[in-house]
Amino acid sequence: MSENASRNSTHTEPKRLMAGVLALLVHVLFIAVLVFGLSWKDHPPEGMIVDIWTELPKPIQESIKAQPAPKQPEPVKQEPEPPEPIKPEPPKPEPPKPEPPKPEPQKTEPPKVVPQKAVTPPVKKPDIAMKQEQEEQKKKEQEKIKEQERLKELEKQKEIEKKKELEKQKELERQKALEKQKELEKQKEIAKQKELQLQREKELAAQRQREQEAKARQAAEAQRVAEAQRAAQQAAARNQVTNEIAKYKALILAKIKSRIVMPPDLPGNPAVEFSVTLLPGGDILDVRLARSSGHSVFDSAVERAIFLSKPLPLPPDPALFNEFRNLNIKVHYRE
Amino acid sequence: MNTTVTQDMSFIHLISSASLLVQLVMLILVLISLSSWWFIFRKLFVIRNEIKKTDDFEDIFWRGVDLNALHQRIISPRYDSCSLERIFAAGFGEFNKHPDGTDLEAVMESTRRAMRATYQREMDYLESHLSFLATVGSVSPYIGLLGTVWGIMNSFRSLSSMTQATIAHVAPGIAEALIATAMGLFAAIPAVVAYNRYASRTDQLATRFESFMEEISNILQRRAAA
Repeated sequence: MSENASRNSTHTEPKRLMAGVLALLVHVLFIAVLVFGLSWKDHPPEGMIVDIWTELPKPIQESIKAQPAPKQPEPVKQEPEPPEPIKPEPPKPEPPKPEPPKPEPQKTEPPKVVPQKAVTPPVKKPDIAMKQEQEEQKKKEQEKIKEQERLKELEKQKEIEKKKELEKQKELERQKALEKQKELEKQKEIAKQKELQLQREKELAAQRQREQEAKARQAAEAQRVAEAQRAAQQAAARNQVTNEIAKYKALILAKIKSRIVMPPDLPGNPAVEFSVTLLPGGDILDVRLARSSGHSVFDSAVERAIFLSKPLPLPPDPALFNEFRNLNIKVHYRE
Repeated sequence: MNTTVTQDMSFIHLISSASLLVQLVMLILVLISLSSWWFIFRKLFVIRNEIKKTDDFEDIFWRGVDLNALHQRIISPRYDSCSLERIFAAGFGEFNKHPDGTDLEAVMESTRRAMRATYQREMDYLESHLSFLATVGSVSPYIGLLGTVWGIMNSFRSLSSMTQATIAHVAPGIAEALIATAMGLFAAIPAVVAYNRYASRTDQLATRFESFMEEISNILQRRAAA
């Protein structure tokens, strides 16, 4: 019994499922690391910018050319600018013009009021006549004639007074008319003054325009001067560059000459020409015999000297190397 | 395939653009890796459990308990016994089967045989799947290498048709091919480590079982002689 039990006892493995889950977890982790780890390095195409560096000197020249180019249009822009201030300024005087006519109609209104006042007194006259008739009728009813006469005298006096009042009114009207005329004259004067002011403003605007034009001209001249200076500087830089190139070419030639072991007793002054291809750093890539001197001893001596002076002196500025890539070296037997 | 430099070099893209054989190799390697990790964790739990229970059993046994009671407890079907307990149960059961008066030598011989048989079975159980881990450890790098070689072969073959050969033409192919090697190594390294660790652990357990077998036969012999 016990034997069978021990034989058949199936080994119950602990945490079998958990082992599977853990194995899956490990793989998920690993894949996550691979996916994110690789995708992080997914942006190297920025390295493509490197291609531009091989042509360094050209962009400098382009930039120099590009700088004056926008400055030429600038004076052109400034020239059209002067007409612009003229346009805005004329409209400015225009708005004040409509203003003067406005006060005129306003001041013409008072004369209208005055005639109305002048009309009202004749209206009063008939009223007074009616009263006089009534009074006369009453007098006809035989009341005191003297009183009537007195009344008449009084009326006459009143009429005279009224006439005097009318005359005064007329005088007032005249005075008012005079005042109106004076006002009109004043208005005219004001209008004239305004016109004068406008003229002055126009003159000032014109002066400003002239000043602006003058400034623009001065600026353009200054720019021209600056451009000239820049051109001079560029020329100086070029001169420096050419000086540098000449200096280093002389240095190269001197170094080569110092290494030549001159073969003795050659007739005349033979000259040999080599075209040398250089590498950046001064190393010699290739030496070709361009024109033989006719003496192979001399040719080979110079060729050996070229190889011996191997790190050839080059200017530290790598932009100048293009001038040295292909060198023509001419050596005379006798200086 | 777009051959500009701004190529999608993400992991998923690399796998999906690989050739069929490389993809197959990758699939095999993923399955191998999964099962190997599954066995790694299973064996980890089994061996850890076994060592703990063996420690407990030896602790109880050498404290001097009643052997009959211990035997009864072990062979009860509900008890979750360990290997050493089963070896003891087999030996003790065989020893008790013989009636008193039989030849002591013969009794001890059969007891030792019973224990030896159980020991073999238990060791077989403990060492199961360890050979699989060893196989994974030694073979999966080669499988990965096969995928890589095949992928690189393909990428170079496509390069031959190009007039202007640049690194950008070969790089994606080589990258996707190298993923296969990476997967093979990922499967192999833990498998090898686990195999070595578990093999040494089971060896330790085996020596403990064998010494216990010798000791229990001594105890039983003394008990029979008494």
